[in-house]
Formats: sequence, C-alpha cells, structure tokens
Amino acid sequence: MSSALVAAILVLGAAVIVVRRRSVAIALIAAQSFALGIGALDLASGRSDDFLVASLVLLTKAAVLPALLLVVMRRTREARLVAPAASALVRLAAVGGVALIAAALIPPLGLGDAQTEHTAVALVLIGIAIAVARRPAFMQLLGLIVAENGVSLLAISVPGGLSYVVELGALFDLALVVTVAAAFTQRIHLELGTGDTELLRGLRD
Amino acid sequence: MTELVGTLAWVVPALPLACAAALQATRTPVQADRVNVVTAVATAAVALALSATLLARGGDAPLRGELYLVDGASGVFVGLIAVIGLCSALVSPAYLRTAGRSWFSAGRSRHWYYAALYFFWGALLAVPIAGNLALAWLLVEATTAASALLIAFTGRRHALEAGWKYLVLTTLGLSVALLGIVVLALGLSREGHQGLAALDWHALERTASGLPERPTVVAFVLILAGLATKIGWAPVHNWLPDAHSEAPAPISALLSAALLPTVVLVAWRVKATLDVAVGGGTAGALFLAFGLASLIVAIPFLWRALPWKRLLAYSSLEHMGVIALGIGFGTPLAIAGVVIHVAGHGLAKALGFYAALPLLRSDPETARRAPKGVLGPSPRTAAAMGVSLAALGGLPPSPLFVSELLILLGGIAAGETAVVAVAALALSLGFLGLLHALLEGVVGPPAERRHRPRSRTERPIAIMTAALGAGLLALTAATVLLPGSAFVDRLAGGAL
Repeated sequence: MSSALVAAILVLGAAVIVVRRRSVAIALIAAQSFALGIGALDLASGRSDDFLVASLVLLTKAAVLPALLLVVMRRTREARLVAPAASALVRLAAVGGVALIAAALIPPLGLGDAQTEHTAVALVLIGIAIAVARRPAFMQLLGLIVAENGVSLLAISVPGGLSYVVELGALFDLALVVTVAAAFTQRIHLELGTGDTELLRGLRD
Repeated sequence: MTELVGTLAWVVPALPLACAAALQATRTPVQADRVNVVTAVATAAVALALSATLLARGGDAPLRGELYLVDGASGVFVGLIAVIGLCSALVSPAYLRTAGRSWFSAGRSRHWYYAALYFFWGALLAVPIAGNLALAWLLVEATTAASALLIAFTGRRHALEAGWKYLVLTTLGLSVALLGIVVLALGLSREGHQGLAALDWHALERTASGLPERPTVVAFVLILAGLATKIGWAPVHNWLPDAHSEAPAPISALLSAALLPTVVLVAWRVKATLDVAVGGGTAGALFLAFGLASLIVAIPFLWRALPWKRLLAYSSLEHMGVIALGIGFGTPLAIAGVVIHVAGHGLAKALGFYAALPLLRSDPETARRAPKGVLGPSPRTAAAMGVSLAALGGLPPSPLFVSELLILLGGIAAGETAVVAVAALALSLGFLGLLHALLEGVVGPPAERRHRPRSRTERPIAIMTAALGAGLLALTAATVLLPGSAFVDRLAGGAL
C-alpha cells in the first residue's frame, strides 16, 4: 500500500477527534473506510476470493455503515452542538501525542513496513481516545469504527491476507455492534433529549 | 464417540438460535413464557449431554474437528453455561411479569428479550467449543451486542448508562485483542503458516516455538489486555459493577457466572498455546498481575454497604482475580482449584442474583441502597442470599473454600510465596467483608417494618436455593476426586 494512502487513512481518522459537526465526522469515516478499501483491493488484486471479500468490506464500511449513521444523525437532531470537554487544539495535541507514543513504544511487529505498523496501532489508540475524549454518544460510536479501521489496516497487510472467515466474521460483528450502538444513541437521545454522555454519570460508588 | 461429539459440537450452539426463532413466532406473553421453558430445557439437555460426554473422557486427548476443539475444560464450561442459562431462562418469566418499563414496545419486549437471551446463550455455549483463536474472538465479540441490549433492557437512564459503557469499553478492548491476533497472524504468516487453520489452538501450540519472540510477546500482551476488558479484570473493570447492577437479574447471573469465566477460558487457552513463545514466566506473571490487581481493587468495595447486586459485582471482580491467580500459578493443584472455582463461583453467584428478584420486588429501595435484615420479612430470600454469600466468602463447606485453598497451595508449589501471602490476606479481608454483609444485610435488624411477601412469590427462589445449594455441596464432595487426576494433569499440561 502506498505511503500516501496510509498517511491519508491516519489523517482522516485523527480528524474525527477534532471536528464538531457529526455530518463532517461521518464523511471522514466514510472517506477513511473508502481509502482502506482501495488499499485492500490493491493488495488483493490477482486473488479473486480476497478481492471479492475486500469489495464487500469496502461496500459495507464506506457506504452501508455511513448511511446508517446518517439515518441516526437525522433522527437525533441536537438543538445545539454539544459543548466539547476540551478545545479542538487540545484534542489535536492529544491525538498527536498518541500517534507519537505509538511510533516510539511499539516494537517492530514483523510486517517490515514501519509506517503501516505505526499507523495501525496509532489508529486503534486514536479510536480509544475519541471514545474517551468526545462527549456525544454518536462521536464515541465513531471512535469504535476508527479503532476497527486501525486493526483492518494491519489485517489487510498480512502477507496472504487473513482468512476471509475472520474478515467477514469481524465485519459482521462490527455491523452488529454499530447497529446496536446506533440504537443506543437514539434511545439515549430520546431519554435525555441530547446525546451528551456527560449526563450519563449517575452510577458511582 | 468422535462422531457423536462432533454432531453435538454443532448442535449445542445452533439450538439456542433455533429456539430464539421459535420464540419469535409466539403470539402472547403466556405462550412465549411456556415455549421458553421447553426451549430452555431442550438447549440445556443437549449441552449437558455434550458436557457429560466430555467429562466422562477424563484425561483423554482433546477431540478436534474443522472448527471445534473439545477437551475437559470445554466439558466444565459447557456444563456450567448450560446450567446457568437454563436457570436464567426459567426465572426470566418471573422477571418479565414485574419488569414494568422496557426499552421496547410492550407488545414486542418479550420477543426482543428472549431473542437476545438465546443469542447470548448460544454464543456463550460456542466459545468453549471453538477450536480456533480467531473464531473464539468472533464469538466473544458476538456476545457483546446481545448482552448490551439485555443490560439496558429497562431503558431507564441508569440502565442505558451501564449498557452504553459496557458496549463501548468491551468493544474497544476486543479491538485491542483483535490487533493482537493480527500481529500473531503476521508472525505465523512469516513462518509459512497462513489462513484460518494457522490460528487453530492445536496448530498454534505446535508452531508457537518457531515464532519470533518480541512480536509474539506484543501479540500476547495485546490479546490478554483486550480480553481483560471483557473479563472485567482490574484495572479495566469499570463497566462491570454498573452492568451487573443495572441488568435484569437473570442476565446479571449469565454475565457474572458464565460470560466472565468463559472469556477467561479463551485467555487461558491463549496462555497454554503461546507459553513457549512468550516464556512461561512472562505469561504467568501477567495473569498474576491481573489477579492480584483485581483482588486488591475489589476488597474495599466488599467492605462497603453497597446495593445487593453491586456487592455481587465486586465479588465477581474478586473471584475473576482468584481464577487468574490459579491460571498464573499453573501447577496441577492450582488448576484443580481453578476448575472447582469456576463451577462453584458460577452456582453461588447465579443464586445471589436470582435472590435479587424477590428482594427488589419486596423492597425496591434495595436497588440503590444496601439491604438490611432480610431474614425477618423474607426468610426464603434471606436463605438464598445467605447461601450465596457464605459460598462466595469461602465459608466451609463451600467448594470455594477448597478451591481457594488449592490455588494458594498451588502457588506455593510454584514458588510464588509472596503472591500467595498477598492473595491470602486479600481473600481473608474479602471474607470478612462478605461476612459483614451477611450479618447486616441478611440476619441483622431490618431497616424498617415491611410487609411480609406472600410465600407464593418466594417459592421459586426457595426451589432455586435447594437446587443450586445441592449443586454446591455436590461440588464440594467432588473436589476430592480432582487433585492428582488425569483430567487435571491434562489441563495443567496445556496440551490442546
């Protein structure tokens, strides 16, 4: 996979922690999944089974899931944007820190392509950071997808590819979790009148 | 024999899915509850048949198929999940009759509940049978969606908070575990082992010694850290007390008594297969670290006057820590203790959660504060709570007394005296905390004068206490058979 494409996948994922508009965040996720899909198709060229699986994954992640997210967004309109826990600059600095830590701490994983290895690990950490740092339930849901895209980046780079049973199984699980998370997002919005998870902090010991 | 086991290995996880479909065809709540009884008994019967067949094989080598691997551990876990699933399904109608508000519309709430319950149960039954690391991961991840819906079933604010936290944290944790599996697959691919079969448990065990050490250690740490989130080991346990306390009681029982130990089994199999590549010391040390951290974090909460289900949740944290210690020690004595502990904890903890049904019905305030003096107004509920707490605290003749003793002795045999000393101290403090809860919550003076519930409403919990209490005593009696048996030696040897 070209280093420009890998860099684009990283930047698109990192941008999700910065943007405030949900529609922009969905577009970023769709673009990231599309770039990942293009990379997977490129790596699978010449292997018809893998190419088919990569196409299915691309269609689901870059089209079906973003469409589902758009529906959820339309059904959970916010009167005003949820106030962020920290400014965009602080969040961006945090993401940069996470990416640097990933690059510094993770030893070679055996792929022989340090950029892809570091980007994959950084995306998983960025996904976790999005879920922790963003207050809207909807944005936390996007964090799950960014983390999963990080894993996918490494998975498609494995020589010979992962088994399509695993790839399709993981895709099914992701679709299931995103669907349930989308249902939660709607229900939380219905219950609280907003998707702000700061209001969901009643359970303490 | 092999053919029968092979057939059962496919039927056991598939049957609950068929049952879920059958339940969707029911038209009235009464009809759904009746069909649920039939389908639950059928599912449990088939699963118990598989469990009994596997346990009867003793220390024989595991049986393998294309996607399954069944051994003695599979027998123990499938049996446990069958029993807990059956009990949870049987007490569910009583919960649903008094549940009140639900996330779903009144007309469909039972259908959604049963669909999610059977999907969850089916995925759980499949995990101990899965013959492949990636497949086991897929199944563990598949439990998340269904169980999250069940945790938030009431649709109330606290239930939504607990369900959402569980969904997000465990999904992220499992993403980390999947990253570890991909790193492992990368190492295997470099050694010429590709495809799904490379991640089969027995294939991994054979090829592990040839894997590069550093990436394999990274893979192992990522897999274990990710699974720890789902198990609820400290310090990644934040979702556990909330989910256990807010879920419907039958689901709390399934989460604590079946889900947590089942994911521990996956972690145990990862350790058994990758020990050679990671270094037995490193793998064991990680288990010991998670075990001690869980024990130490749980103790202060066991001393506090917590609502009943929250107290049980922190007790789960403690007991998952004990199981981690046993696996970390890895000696035959400790492994015998682990097997008994998994089964004993499951039965005792499930009984405790089932006792929450009549407790919350007679005194709904106990959802938010510690119960007090339940014995006077609700003697049968108090008996269930007492049996559960005494067993969980490790009061003889509880099987957990024997299992904890075996694990500690196993630790001494492994030369981990310092860890054993800290664990023994933590277990003693945990016992005192639960004893305090027993004295204050069950036999102490009641908080206020309450109406005595009709004896009819307490009859199901009395039956459950008798059945699960008998199971606990039978388990204590069976403990004499385990240490030194070929069954335990095979598990301790880690051969898959």
